[in-house]
Amino acid sequence: MTTAIEMIEGIDALPPLPGTTQRLMAIVGEPNGSLDDVVDIIKHDQAMTSQVLKLCNSASSGVSRKIGSLREAIGFLGTKKVFDLAIAAHTGGMLSKQQVGYDLEAGAMWRQSVAVAVGSAAIAKHLRLQDAHLLFTAGLLHDIGKVVLSEHVAESYAEILRLVTDEKLSFIEAEHRVLGFSHEEVGALVAERWQLPEAIVRCIRYHHDPFSLAVPDPLVDAVYLASTVCLMIGIGGGADGLSYRADQSVLDRHGLDERDLELIAMQMLSGLQEAELFMQAPASE
Amino acid sequence: MELIVDIADMAVTPDTNASLVTYSLGSCIGVSIWDRSLRVGGLLHYMLPNAGLAPEKAEERPAMFATTGIPALFREAFELGAKKEQLSVRIAGGSQLMDDNNRFNIGRKNYVALRKILFKNGIRIAAEDVGGSISRTMRLDVGTGRVTLTSNRIEREL
Repeated sequence: MTTAIEMIEGIDALPPLPGTTQRLMAIVGEPNGSLDDVVDIIKHDQAMTSQVLKLCNSASSGVSRKIGSLREAIGFLGTKKVFDLAIAAHTGGMLSKQQVGYDLEAGAMWRQSVAVAVGSAAIAKHLRLQDAHLLFTAGLLHDIGKVVLSEHVAESYAEILRLVTDEKLSFIEAEHRVLGFSHEEVGALVAERWQLPEAIVRCIRYHHDPFSLAVPDPLVDAVYLASTVCLMIGIGGGADGLSYRADQSVLDRHGLDERDLELIAMQMLSGLQEAELFMQAPASE
Repeated sequence: MELIVDIADMAVTPDTNASLVTYSLGSCIGVSIWDRSLRVGGLLHYMLPNAGLAPEKAEERPAMFATTGIPALFREAFELGAKKEQLSVRIAGGSQLMDDNNRFNIGRKNYVALRKILFKNGIRIAAEDVGGSISRTMRLDVGTGRVTLTSNRIEREL
């Protein structure tokens, strides 16, 4: 079994979030992060600035004249969109690496993360949830624990697979049994280390088992639904396949039916394609 | 040469040097067709059962749905000269989350839709590997008609 110390070392070994991201994260908790705040943060980051400008002036944006200033560009795209893109771009390097333990090729986890981010945000909007602005980030980072756990899963893969196949454990139950930690638990530790808002930590911690919460949390439900649909349609699917438990009470709580799941699947696929066009999948290092 | 078929996409080719591959089928279904005389092959990766969900989307992207994608796949092969009676049809995917009787059952519905369409058109399935909770990668070698599936790092023939 992996020791707690090994796991903490794995978390420590993750690169810290870039300064720009950290500052953006600090205002993510504010529903109405102002244009000035975002401009102030991004203007010091040359790569980000040029990305935002490129985005505005790309053929698909439909803007007829050239946009030259960052302020104008952010005004055009909307602060929320720029914020989401900035977080996605900055975590791209980390999320794009190959994850051997989960059979995820380079780029696969990034695609999955962006799809879940887009999906979580869309679901939150559909359900008119409060604090919906947190959900893109929560969705994007929902599987961050896999980055830490991947090599441990690789080492113990045969045993994890045996528990999933023969004993019908879910993948997180098998991770927990064999390694002492699931990728949800490790992900929540990472998010705490990064000082992300508590609501985001909770989404990461319970994205496969919202039924473990004594009091249901609508934000967790949204990330659960998005990540579940994403697994089903196989965007960035890996070694864990669909070996997770279904929780129908989430559907009941929000008055959703099977048709809604199919619509979510459709929205997620087109949302991912749009995001890919905008950002291009960042190359892994 | 390897041609990758994305989610909600398809490809048909007479190129006998090509192999068509689609990655990580979960609840989606992969349909491989191959004309044994002509050696024309096609692969579809559809995501949802019924185009009635979003007719406009289906027009733009027929391969997203069983009801539009399966006819489109066969039509394209017929246009290249393939004949129904010479086609070998192989199916994979349609996985489910754990808990069989759940309402997250897109996989099951995808499979039922396919069976209906093929039955109506008198098309026989040569081989299939569907259901369970695994993810499958499906590959068709157009030169030989060989179809392989990879799950949990193990490759097997379908």
